[in-house]
Amino acid sequence: MATNAIDQTRRMLSLVTYLRERPGARVEDVARAFGITEDELISDLDILPLCGTSFRGGDLLDIDTDGDRIWWRNPGALSAEAAAPLRLAADEATALLVAARAVSTLPGLRESDRLALLRATAKLEAAAGEAAGASARLSVTFESEGGVFADVDRAISERRRLWIRYYSPARDEVTEREIDPIRLVSVGHTYVEAWCRRSEARRTFRLDRVAEIRILDEPSAPPEIELRDLSEGLVQPAAEDPEVVIEVGPGGRWVAEYYPHDSAEELADGGLRITLRTPDPSSLRRLALRLGRDGRIVSPLGLAESARQAAGEALAAYDGHG
Amino acid sequence: MAIAKAERLMNLALCLLGTGRPLSKRELRGSIEAYLEANSDDSFNRMFERDKDDLRELGLVIATVENLDGEIGYLARRDSNRLPPVTLDAEEAAALGLAAKVWQQARLAGAASGALQKLRAAGLPEDVDPYEAHSALEPRIPVHEASFEPLMLACRDRRAVVFDYRKATAARPAQRHVEPWALECWRGHWYLAGWDRDRGAERVFRLSRITGKVRSRAGRFTADVPDVVTVRETVASWAGETADRTARIRLRSGSGYPLRAKASAVRDLGDGWDELEIPYGHGLDAWLVEFGPDVVVLEPAELRAEVVDRLRAVAKG
Repeated sequence: MATNAIDQTRRMLSLVTYLRERPGARVEDVARAFGITEDELISDLDILPLCGTSFRGGDLLDIDTDGDRIWWRNPGALSAEAAAPLRLAADEATALLVAARAVSTLPGLRESDRLALLRATAKLEAAAGEAAGASARLSVTFESEGGVFADVDRAISERRRLWIRYYSPARDEVTEREIDPIRLVSVGHTYVEAWCRRSEARRTFRLDRVAEIRILDEPSAPPEIELRDLSEGLVQPAAEDPEVVIEVGPGGRWVAEYYPHDSAEELADGGLRITLRTPDPSSLRRLALRLGRDGRIVSPLGLAESARQAAGEALAAYDGHG
Repeated sequence: MAIAKAERLMNLALCLLGTGRPLSKRELRGSIEAYLEANSDDSFNRMFERDKDDLRELGLVIATVENLDGEIGYLARRDSNRLPPVTLDAEEAAALGLAAKVWQQARLAGAASGALQKLRAAGLPEDVDPYEAHSALEPRIPVHEASFEPLMLACRDRRAVVFDYRKATAARPAQRHVEPWALECWRGHWYLAGWDRDRGAERVFRLSRITGKVRSRAGRFTADVPDVVTVRETVASWAGETADRTARIRLRSGSGYPLRAKASAVRDLGDGWDELEIPYGHGLDAWLVEFGPDVVVLEPAELRAEVVDRLRAVAKG
């Protein structure tokens, strides 16, 4: 089911208020104002004529559309009072206020946007009244590097290319690259999605790994690419990526919390057998080293071997001194 | 065909909003098609009770009034249901529009758009082009944990909860009884702060470590909820970020950028190695081992021994 009945009812109640004031409103405009698709709006318009203050009295809402405009032929069926805008529910006030407070704490957010958000938050708190109280029970802090953020934000709005020195933990190296920034995304950490001119591919860079940044004079010209839906996470392994199997003891269970994986089977000792995919298994050498006695790489063998070798080399430095 | 639930809820809402006097259950049943079609009193009663609860979740304040004959009537009074006047300018509206999109959790995402729609119906200005004039930022609040929603409702309604919780290094989960205070998202992870009834102390729980279902108790708990809850400090100390010691290490030139970023002093030794001083709390040994042969710990001796210990475990395979 595309929409649940609660959300749809909530929306239809607001629609009634909205449409009553706007005879002949365009389907396109109403859908945009409500942040829904035209199909969703049409499905609401299919239900509204079946609703009214009294089924038997025959005063159903005579709301009709030709697919382009929406007409309400008997606005008197609902009194102005009954169609007045409704107060916010506790969950509605919470959802909007917590989000607004979180966004307003983003370092690097433009000052004018922050001030607008703070003003809006205060007005919303006043309008929500008691319903605003529950919002104190939830809070969200975004992390982002203020200076880097501001430069990326400016480069995007001025459509300019960026030069960065970027740290890649997988290879433990800092590389220089030029990127054409596309958008900033905050999911816990803040990232810039960009077209990387060095690899000629779409790349995502975590702002706290940017060691140095400069805005260049060249215009940014990322190719037209379809933006990914990032709701499933930034790391989305492809089906053809090689598989890595890791067995961890109880002390290594955190791996399942930090690494997106295909499966995590419980083991008898309280540990897990984790299967994941990554385009570059060698990037997991760090993890193998970190796990120590809390886990081991089962496959690929090459990865397990390179971790053993690295540990052996490292130990050599302590020989005779340890 | 069964009548859609949204249609039934909408009719009930309009009846309650449209009436100037309390309507009895009998009257409502006679006015709403879905209720007329209910095949027994029982099924009508169940449906009606559930629908009232649903409408209350949507923010509708439904008054229950007893008339002279002892009959119960219902109505949604205008003064208790109307949004107070709120005037937002185009900039403020655009800012709220951005905020309404950040939730990735179905219930809160629905509630946020619902709030915006109510404001829109009340005259909130519509975005001109949100991407031209404002930050190119798309913040998202991730919520992957199934325990989030029941805990959010329990915090809101002040209900004690019971859940199985597996501590970071514990093999088996243990049952915890908690009076939930607040949920906080930090670095992309959700935490619950509350009063642990068994331990008689304040505790912070990471939601991803809750296994199985969260069950909430029926009654409200009456103990005080503190105004300020310090989730972040607790989590930072778990992560070993409260530095109270200093380590001295050798690091191969050109490698280990994050160690350099954290170091209080870096000295080039001239032989392809640098010497760094790094303030730390705990957990540094595991991090240093990640750099393999590019790091050699000089002091303190315990840290050196911990790193050697970890390396030996890996070298043995």
